[in-house]
Amino acid sequence: MIQLLANWILSFDILSGMGNSVAWGLSLFVVAALIFVFVALNAIVLVYIERKVSAFMQVRLGPMRVGKFGTLQTVADALKLLQKEDIIPKMADKVLFVVGPWVILVASVVTFAAIPFSDTLLAANMNIGLFYVVSISSIVVLGIVMSGWASNNKWSLYGAMRSAAQIISYEIPVGITLIAVVAVVGSLNLQTIIEAQGGTSNLFHWIPIPLPNWFIFHNPFLFMAAFVYLIGATAEINRTPFDIPESESELVAGFMTEFSGLRWALFFLSEYANATLVAFLVAIVFLGGWQSPFADYRGTQIGFSIITLVAIMWTLFVRAKTSRLSVYPVGLSLVITISAWLFPGFAIWMASPGIFWMLMKVGTIIFMLMWFRWTFPRLRVDQLMYVSWKVLLPLALINLMGVAIWMWLTGEIQF
Amino acid sequence: MSYFSNISSAITTLIDGMKVTLGYFVRPREHVTLQYPDEVWPIPTRNIGVGEIESYNTIRSKLVVDFEDCIGCKACERACPVNCIHIETFKAGPEEDIGTTKNGTKIKLRVTSFTIDMSECMFCDLCTHPCPEDCIRMTPDYQFISNDNVKLDVTPEERWRDRDHLIYQFSKVFPIERAQRQAEAEKVAEAKAAAMEAKKAAAERAASEKAAEQALEIETLTATPMESVASEAPVVTESPEVPVDQAQTTSSTLDRAPIEDDMVRVNLSMEIPVTPDIPVETPPSSEATAEPETSTDTEDSSKGETENG
Repeated sequence: MIQLLANWILSFDILSGMGNSVAWGLSLFVVAALIFVFVALNAIVLVYIERKVSAFMQVRLGPMRVGKFGTLQTVADALKLLQKEDIIPKMADKVLFVVGPWVILVASVVTFAAIPFSDTLLAANMNIGLFYVVSISSIVVLGIVMSGWASNNKWSLYGAMRSAAQIISYEIPVGITLIAVVAVVGSLNLQTIIEAQGGTSNLFHWIPIPLPNWFIFHNPFLFMAAFVYLIGATAEINRTPFDIPESESELVAGFMTEFSGLRWALFFLSEYANATLVAFLVAIVFLGGWQSPFADYRGTQIGFSIITLVAIMWTLFVRAKTSRLSVYPVGLSLVITISAWLFPGFAIWMASPGIFWMLMKVGTIIFMLMWFRWTFPRLRVDQLMYVSWKVLLPLALINLMGVAIWMWLTGEIQF
Repeated sequence: MSYFSNISSAITTLIDGMKVTLGYFVRPREHVTLQYPDEVWPIPTRNIGVGEIESYNTIRSKLVVDFEDCIGCKACERACPVNCIHIETFKAGPEEDIGTTKNGTKIKLRVTSFTIDMSECMFCDLCTHPCPEDCIRMTPDYQFISNDNVKLDVTPEERWRDRDHLIYQFSKVFPIERAQRQAEAEKVAEAKAAAMEAKKAAAERAASEKAAEQALEIETLTATPMESVASEAPVVTESPEVPVDQAQTTSSTLDRAPIEDDMVRVNLSMEIPVTPDIPVETPPSSEATAEPETSTDTEDSSKGETENG
């Protein structure tokens, strides 16, 4: 994408004199700015959605006063945070206190350089993309420890220490589950991983139900690995139920106790950037990334017909009560089905890979993360370690072994 | 095997919890939030008391006075156990017709100020019963907040309700009018006293000079004091110095008087009108005289410094 942008800049007669390297640097800057803007806007939207989701789950309404249905609430909050006084505690380590939030933010923003949004839309097509993303996102713990130590506050230090212990523990099952996927594909390139998931196949290759050839449906071990990865990644980004680094009832606000204003906003920004990153990784590695769930336009028509039929039956017979879930999605799927049968062009567009499917999958995963957050109670510190070392790590190892054996038995990999 | 049963029970209970939250998520219309200023709970109409009087059995909140019916008897002020009602009255002139109440009673007292401090009121309902005209009553209106008085640049006429939102001024007499009426009342009293004195003097003189039998001089002498008394008001407006003094005296008395009693908070917010000539003219003149001197001083000093430097 950077080279494409550079070529586009050089294609103008006026700008062609600047030279290839200058154009390349300029387009690099533009792409970096685009990624940062994406992360910032993403945080603003996600905070609003999270507040609404939590409100609905707790039988509340959420923000309603700023803008229609409170849509401008997060914008107002962001403006408020920008205007706040920049406070550095007297006894804090000033250098680390200032640098810490930026380390966290940079670590979470830079990972988006390797994330493919569609088959053409990505900043850098790296051959070690998966490794890059996993390793760079681990730098976040450095920033957390820096800001926790610099605050010179016992709550902050406890939070930072817990965060370090937690992230280091959960890196291991998460890494091993990703290795299982890499064993199937044989590549660390994220684009290659997504391209390997195109088309349709039977469920686990032998149950005759046609399904998209995503890795979550590839074999039973990868199906389990997807959930192991989701749980481990939830812990890695410090979200509830694994939010002991910033547990309000125990540690005030954990490592961000002493922060306010813009620096606190940076923590928030990186938190939602990390959540989005995890959702992207789950979508890329297990759910086929930008691949459409339908093989061709015929598949789109039949697939949406089945979905609509099931939704209507479910609404009529299982859930007679009127609810938002039964009215709007059923109507939407009905409209999509009818238009897919009437206009083949629409069906072909639905079957073709693109950013639409990527964002749909990412949105679903982010909703699941929010769902987790507003349902589950927080784990104790020892329970957290128990889950990581005694449950997830054995499961991940079993999955890795199982995937290897499966690949050997089905003959997809020759030893 | 407690390890595997632990894991399986964890998974099942987590799925149960997720079902519950998803169920609430898809039914957002069952929310419990009340969007307060837009929608309010209905006021309960049930019988909350044991008394026979109707007003006692409903919600008692904000006090309201039908001011047109107030005769200024101060019965409610005396009944109030927390002294939150303050009434100021003075007697109307003999020919002055203020009006009658809805019960047909003639109002004999001008009520210049009728304030209720709602921050002190304890909603006991004791003030409503002694009222002979049934003009003070409790209403179920519980919303004391208002943004009427948020703007601070309102004129005194607009600010008849206090800025603290909780001191309610029910008399329709605004501070300006109140001061004017007080001045009028003083004038009337003075005029009365002067007339009485003049009458007395005239009677005495008439009595003494009847005996002396000097008819022409007596008539002229008696006529002058009576005329001056009758035409005091127009004379005052014509001469520029006299009303200024009068207004100042009245305003200063108004300023000082409330500090001694409980009316401090009420009166602090009221701007009692002083004639605008004196305070407006003096400050600019002093500033105008002060400013050039200081500027010249600074210029000179700066010049001197630069020269020295």
